Amino acid sequence: MMEAEVVEKDAEKKLKFGLFLGCNIPFNRPDVEQAMRKIFPVLGVELDELKGQSCCPTWGTMPSIDITAWCAVAARNLCLGEEKGIDLMTACNSCYGSLNEARHKMLNNPKLMSDVNELLAKIGKRYEGKAKCRHVAWVLYKDVGLEKIKESIKYTLDDITIAVQPGCHFLWPSEVYPDKEEDPFNPVVLRELCEALGAEAPYYTRLIDCCGMGALRSTDPEKSFTLVKEKLENIKEEIDADLIVTTCSSCLIQLDDAQERLRKEGKLNFSIPVLHYVQLLALCMGFEPEQVAGICVTPRDEIINRIIKG
Amino acid sequence: MSNDEKPRIGVYICHCGENIAGAVDVKAVAEFAKTLPDVVVVRDYLFMCSDPGQELIKQDIRDGLVNRVVVAACTPRTHEPIFRKACEDAGLNKYYFEMANIRDQCSWAHWHEKEKATEKAKAIVAAAVAKARLLEPLEDRYIELTKEVMVIGGGIAGIFAALDLANAGFKVHLVEKSPSIGGNMAKLDKTFPTNDCSACILTPLMVEVANHPNINLLTYSEVESVEGSVGNFKVKVRKKQTYVDWDKCTGCGACLDVCPPKARVPDEFNEGMSLRGAIYIPFPQAVPKKAVVDMDACIKCGGRDFSGKEPRLSKSGKPILAPCEKVCPTGAADRTPYRDPNGELVELNVGAIIVATGYKVMDKHHFKEFAPEHPNVITAMQMERLISATGPSEGKLIKPSEIPKLLEAKKKGEKVEVEKPHTITFISCVGSRDNRYHTYCSRVCCMYMLKQAMILKEKYPDLDIYIFFIDVRTPGKDFDEYYMRCRQLGIKIIKGRAGGIQPLPDDRLLVKGYDAEIGKPVEVVTDIAVLATAIEPNPTLKELARTLGINVGAEGFLKERHTKLYPVDTMTEGIFIAGCAQGPKDIPDSVAQAKAAAASAMSLLDPGKMTVEPLISEVNKEKCTGCGICVPLCPYGAISLVECEDGKKKSEINPALCKGCGVCTAACPSKAITLHGFTYDQVLAQIKTIARWPEIPAE
Amino acid sequence: MIESEEGVPNVLNLSEIAEREREEDERVVEIVREFGAENLIYCMQCGSCAAVCPLARVGFEWYNKKLIKALLLGMKEELLDDPTPWACVACNRCTEVCPRQVSPFEVMFAVRRMMVEEFAIPTLAIEGLRALYEYGHAVYMTGREARKKVGLPEKPPSTDSDEQALKDLKTILKNTKLAKLGLIPMND
Ligand SMILES: Cc1cc2nc3c(=O)[nH]c(=O)nc-3n(C[C@H](O)[C@H](O)[C@H](O)COP(=O)(O)OP(=O)(O)OC[C@H]3O[C@@H](n4cnc5c(N)ncnc54)[C@H](O)[C@@H]3O)c2cc1C
Ligand code: SF4
Ligand code: SF4
Ligand code: SF4
Ligand code: SF4
Repeated sequence: MMEAEVVEKDAEKKLKFGLFLGCNIPFNRPDVEQAMRKIFPVLGVELDELKGQSCCPTWGTMPSIDITAWCAVAARNLCLGEEKGIDLMTACNSCYGSLNEARHKMLNNPKLMSDVNELLAKIGKRYEGKAKCRHVAWVLYKDVGLEKIKESIKYTLDDITIAVQPGCHFLWPSEVYPDKEEDPFNPVVLRELCEALGAEAPYYTRLIDCCGMGALRSTDPEKSFTLVKEKLENIKEEIDADLIVTTCSSCLIQLDDAQERLRKEGKLNFSIPVLHYVQLLALCMGFEPEQVAGICVTPRDEIINRIIKG
Repeated sequence: MSNDEKPRIGVYICHCGENIAGAVDVKAVAEFAKTLPDVVVVRDYLFMCSDPGQELIKQDIRDGLVNRVVVAACTPRTHEPIFRKACEDAGLNKYYFEMANIRDQCSWAHWHEKEKATEKAKAIVAAAVAKARLLEPLEDRYIELTKEVMVIGGGIAGIFAALDLANAGFKVHLVEKSPSIGGNMAKLDKTFPTNDCSACILTPLMVEVANHPNINLLTYSEVESVEGSVGNFKVKVRKKQTYVDWDKCTGCGACLDVCPPKARVPDEFNEGMSLRGAIYIPFPQAVPKKAVVDMDACIKCGGRDFSGKEPRLSKSGKPILAPCEKVCPTGAADRTPYRDPNGELVELNVGAIIVATGYKVMDKHHFKEFAPEHPNVITAMQMERLISATGPSEGKLIKPSEIPKLLEAKKKGEKVEVEKPHTITFISCVGSRDNRYHTYCSRVCCMYMLKQAMILKEKYPDLDIYIFFIDVRTPGKDFDEYYMRCRQLGIKIIKGRAGGIQPLPDDRLLVKGYDAEIGKPVEVVTDIAVLATAIEPNPTLKELARTLGINVGAEGFLKERHTKLYPVDTMTEGIFIAGCAQGPKDIPDSVAQAKAAAASAMSLLDPGKMTVEPLISEVNKEKCTGCGICVPLCPYGAISLVECEDGKKKSEINPALCKGCGVCTAACPSKAITLHGFTYDQVLAQIKTIARWPEIPAE
Repeated sequence: MIESEEGVPNVLNLSEIAEREREEDERVVEIVREFGAENLIYCMQCGSCAAVCPLARVGFEWYNKKLIKALLLGMKEELLDDPTPWACVACNRCTEVCPRQVSPFEVMFAVRRMMVEEFAIPTLAIEGLRALYEYGHAVYMTGREARKKVGLPEKPPSTDSDEQALKDLKTILKNTKLAKLGLIPMND
């Protein structure tokens, strides 16, 4: 663990991260990828392409088959950072969860670590447990800092109320993550990030409840939608938010996509636009909405216009 | 009987019913024993410890047949005293006895290897015989016992232990660390079983303690060091500085309200739900009812800091005094005299010690999943205060979030509308039965939750009450009646622990639970959530145990010598334990244990003197080179280097402190220390026998 | 056993289940422990995990607490057709609140691993595995148009555009249990 600390310190100095894309972002929501590519140079953070990266692997794949195989795929990705002495950074909670769970398992189980390295040896790689995966929200909050974010923006979000959705893998199991909320049941990082842009980001009762994405949705969409519906209604009722902001690509898709479906089915009579935080930040910095927030199902034109009011 | 008489050894082999005979061929061992040197008689019997069994030994001694006795049987731990006594009764020095353990260390361990077990039993018997040939007669020693007892902790357990001993004529020193006795029970509203008012049954006892001629009450005091051993413990007690002259303080309370807001801190007695001043009396029924100043909180108004300085004078020439000393009618709070922050050291000499330092309840802030920052999430102990007539709301049931408003209005003498709860939800096993905190069951929370729910529902029938239990544990006399009564009252009992609390925007709480009977998650919107937080050892208990030389178990509570047979004794003779310091328990059990500890102390001290075995170590001054290696090794501090007539330093062992552990004997490079009953020759003879088995060494 | 329509009998004959375990000489508890659910024996069925589980909330049958109990009783066959373990979102809120540090999430996933051995695996999961092997991405849509629309190159800098990296990934996968199970074609 000592050495892992060193990596963190170095990364802090240079502020350089390997941009870990995962699957949902590059193929489903490339506007999130574009937003990342736009905002970080402005904030003085260098991004490495992490050439040759793959799926993290996500929960329905290797984690469901075999622990060693899961860790090996994760370790290959982590190696791409470790070889350059940098940590990975992701805007997807599933990647954050899978990579860090895998790393935690390997660090606590020498047998597993050596089995994994046996597999990696076949492709000439070795994972030491140094590189980890950081969450984009934490990099912005801790490494970049709220002050720098405030300085970087062109538009502020006055009079805009945001409902935040940090997402489950941002919080639990807190044991495995490199950065932890002080209270994993009352997360404040994303709220503060939103407030730094001038918005209100109040607490609401079902803030930490699951949005129902992922395996739940692929297994039983109907059941999955009851969770989004409950969450959206709570947001509407309690804080009447103008916008939902998440730091997870899965939550983004679920809240955006499922919301519109529910509305079409007549199960929801309101609509709240949804953005990933990096998209919101990119908009505030003045980047082209088409590029950084161009893909959605629930309409976002109105809110984007409000943000770019001039 | 003289030592030079040639040994005539009798070997007595016990079947222990089937316990030994089931694995060891007793007859074969007996035949073998006959072949051993100096053995003149060998007998076996079903139960050697029975009357007829012992009689076999006694008769052989009386007949002059044997002058050394070896019993091959169960274990010396329980049975050595019995056979020693048999020897003594028959006129033989009881240290001419040796025991061979062929049950615990042989038959039980090798139950399925009959042949090997028999062989091993033979070896064990042979070794015992080898030692018996070299035994020496020894004389018992006696020590005088001080008929005074120190009780540490003045909760209900300490109070009962002190009163029982004092009533029996023993002098008792009751040491309590806080300014008043009473402990946790003083905070409780009503108590199960029977729901008596806690203060009503406790206060008279507290007063009785204070007035008892045999009790020396040392409150605001802590034990600093303990030396000596059973019968003669020398104790140093630190009486902390109260900063109030207790001889003058009448407990009028005039000073309590004048402390400025900056010097106000959370009130321990109200579990932090109200504030108290730096100068305070813990609670209205405190015994002794005297004020103390909490120096961490005191802001030393007017620079009045007890350093011995005269007060400064105002422009008008009047001395500038702190509010507390100004209002004090007796001058007890006077801040001019110098007061030593270290307080005072008191030395006590006691024969026995009873430790009854109780427990603390876990703080709610550990449990992030239950929104601990929210004012309406409280611990069960806070609930006791909330419904108690001496609590922050004077027993009126209000939302805890409303307390500050209520207190503010009270101070101003105004009337104020405060919100009352409509729904109260209890959550069980918070921090108990939990690998992250305490794995044990706290034993009283199921009952106190039922008690609190019942009291509340009977008083406010419109309240909706939910209790989330993992399972309801009511294993006591008149206990399950509470459970049934709660069900009948319409209290909603849910089998299943809650998994989280999420605050609602309006000061209420959403409890996320699970009903295992229905098999579905459930949600309750509640005004107050009560966490039954675990009972845990006082944080200072480990330190105190170290000072006393007693043990704590894995969970941090004091460890008894034997869970079943010696439940109030410790591994250190003369030190007893009682109440929640030994483990979570209710008041009836705490009192029962306190009375047991008091009785044990009485039966120990009442004879005035005590027999101690002579099986202790002694230094041969001729051989000792004074190297001093042994001195720090002795776990009981019994060894010191003393100057002899020739001016050289030699080691000396205090027989009153030596427990005969033998550490020094083994360590002495000059072989100058003899452990009586386990001399070099004796132990070597045993070892040789085993080492050369099956050959029997001749001499 | 009285069969109910869903395949799990209405009355569970525990003796029969125990007998089956003995005959097949396999203890279900040990199997799932091998698959990563090491701590399930510490479960005291308190229900905290179920209180916060999204699956229990939306009405799946064998969510964490109940699944653990079923396994402790030795049930396996009865569970093979059940979709619940495959619906677990791995949110780990259960792990965070479990007072016995059971990590119910690990149990859900250990059961997936056990089911996979019996080829009880949802089609969607197979598809994900196939995509992972073919492209290095489990969620693989030809989102080329979208990428172009937002001004990005057609392919991300991943296995999708790096043949050597994809080959490496395949090498790894071929040497794992995935290959042994033969769930998907892994020829090239
Ligand atoms: C919320 C709640 C409700 C309860 N309700 C009931 C009930 O209705 N009925 C019932 O039977 N039981 C009840 N109990 C249990 C009951 O409180 C205990 O059984 C009882 O108080 C134990 O008494 P004790 O003397 O062992 O400990 P304590 O009451 O804790 O007393 C210990 C004393 O030792 C002092 N002390 C601690 N350390 C030192 C030290 N180092 N030196 C000197 N003094 C020290 C403390 O200041 C304290 O005065 C309840 C418990 C809780 C938490
Ligand atoms: S000097 Fe007296 S009144 Fe002032 S803070 Fe201290 S105790 Fe209170
Ligand atoms: S007494 Fe009841 S509430 Fe307390 S720990 Fe034991 S089971 Fe849990
Ligand atoms: S929370 Fe833990 S102990 Fe409780 S039922 Fe779930 S797995 Fe078992
Ligand atoms: S990790 Fe799975 S089992 Fe645990 S609470 Fe989340 S969905 Fe339920």
